[in-house]
Amino acid sequence: MKYLNRPLQEVHELLKKKEIKPIDLVEEAFENIEANKELNAFITLNKEEAIQRAKELEDQEVDNLLFGIPIALKDNIITEGLRTTCGSHILDNFVPIYNATIVDKLLEKKMIIIGKTNMDQFGMGSSSRTSYYGAPKNPWDLNKIAGGSSGGSAAAISSREVMLAIGSDTGGSIRQPSSYTGIVGMKPTYGRVSRYGLVAFASSLDQLGPMTKNVYENAVLLNAIVGKDEKDLTSAKREEEDFTRLIGEDIKGMKIAIPNFLMGDIVSEEVKDKVKETIKCLEENGATVDYIDIKYIENAMTLYQIIAMGEASSNLARFDGIRYGFQADNIKNIEDVYLETRGQGFGEEVKRRIMVGSYLLSGENAKVYYNKALSIRDDMRKEFKKAFETYDLIIGPTTVTTAYDLTDPMDDPRKSFMDDVLVIPVNMAGLPGMNIPVGFDQNHMPIGMQIIGDSFEEAKMYKLASFIEKELNLDLMPGGEK
Amino acid sequence: MEDKLTREEVLHVANLARIKLTEEEIEKYQVELKKLLTDVEKINEVEGYDDDILIACWDQNTELRKDVEGEMLDPKQVVENAPRHAGNYIEVPVVIGESEGA
Repeated sequence: MKYLNRPLQEVHELLKKKEIKPIDLVEEAFENIEANKELNAFITLNKEEAIQRAKELEDQEVDNLLFGIPIALKDNIITEGLRTTCGSHILDNFVPIYNATIVDKLLEKKMIIIGKTNMDQFGMGSSSRTSYYGAPKNPWDLNKIAGGSSGGSAAAISSREVMLAIGSDTGGSIRQPSSYTGIVGMKPTYGRVSRYGLVAFASSLDQLGPMTKNVYENAVLLNAIVGKDEKDLTSAKREEEDFTRLIGEDIKGMKIAIPNFLMGDIVSEEVKDKVKETIKCLEENGATVDYIDIKYIENAMTLYQIIAMGEASSNLARFDGIRYGFQADNIKNIEDVYLETRGQGFGEEVKRRIMVGSYLLSGENAKVYYNKALSIRDDMRKEFKKAFETYDLIIGPTTVTTAYDLTDPMDDPRKSFMDDVLVIPVNMAGLPGMNIPVGFDQNHMPIGMQIIGDSFEEAKMYKLASFIEKELNLDLMPGGEK
Repeated sequence: MEDKLTREEVLHVANLARIKLTEEEIEKYQVELKKLLTDVEKINEVEGYDDDILIACWDQNTELRKDVEGEMLDPKQVVENAPRHAGNYIEVPVVIGESEGA
């Protein structure tokens, strides 16, 4: 490791003083990716373009912290001229003709796109094993999953293949893989980041966010990607703010809550113990931590199944084999194009979810399931809002266990939802949620804690996360510092 | 309750979703879809909530963009993205069924 494991500020200074050039970082990124090939973190690399861009940036003024920094993007973010597959066979050959808003924002900061990261097909899964391109592996143990669906971005950051990455989170897909791989992952408030150009899975839940090796870099990257976008009606118009502004502040007097559900029997003792140790540390430093009940939180997974599968069935109707992507051979008529292309192009998990979603939205079922789910979801969000009248933040474990074996069975269709049972409520309520590493299990696999904030309170979350990061001072480089 | 869907039920939802299934898949989905559909039934056990619904977690004022002409994508590039195309057109197979032809 030369530069990509160093703090962003340090690398920035080196660039500014012209002691290194962006090409040094780009070359290191591709060297690291080559050395870690087995991780399978990337689906498509952007090598030629990245090298060319690095050279173009050489003579330009280093005008911001992200200038010349290599970044990886989850492969459901569309990139002009760079293949975007969503981890699916149906988009094997899809080369977008425009950029997602987030991509334009990153390019404005003069960042360098290294490649597109591996993921569960269309974000559907919790271990990235539904990827058509093979599962990414966990840098802490190559026999374990990296989590999902942003598993490739998580593996790329954890192994320091790149310095920064973007993931997407519909039901935990940034936070859960971040927890499994020992990195910092933020799912911002719904509406913070434009979804224009993010291939939609469940539109009322999807949100893009930063995945990084530390808290400060996460906040800096969030600074760069937020903002109202007229191409996304649901993007929020907010006063500009610096998400790093509370980092390093004292946590004395902070009021924190833990929902009992998040510390229930479903969570392994090892994970709970680590979270409890962290809670003790917070209390010793002047924060108060109370256990509370949040009504309906235990129903979040059922609501998620209905809302996410319903919306997915509608969103994925666009893949028709006519306008872009894969088209099946040997077709006789238009009906065949749809049926055969979708039958052959989508993976098992995707087909399962689209079928259930179609059923849930068909005819009277829409009232029986979908509308009811929206109604309970509203009550659950109100419950969260009520808690935030008293508390600054909510915490709990991110996952019920640490990362499991890549070879664990995949035959239970409920498994991928169960893996995300602790992170799903946040999407249901549209709140920001993040993962911060808090320790390791007996096999030295990372354990993560989740911090949940009220809407648009990301800065406050970074304050607590940075405190935990500093207090615990964990070595989060797989295999130790190199 | 049966622990799997009938063949016809699976074919019905596959048709709703416009997905062609292989024989092997039909059998598999008879069991798997049943599991998920049993899961979502749990929603009927929830009580006490009010009638308000939350379509998306959105508490901003909705602001529509101005209705003005913007930049367009290049039609040539758009068409080239289609698996089958000719000139400025996207090619599709026969739309009218064979029995209705002529």
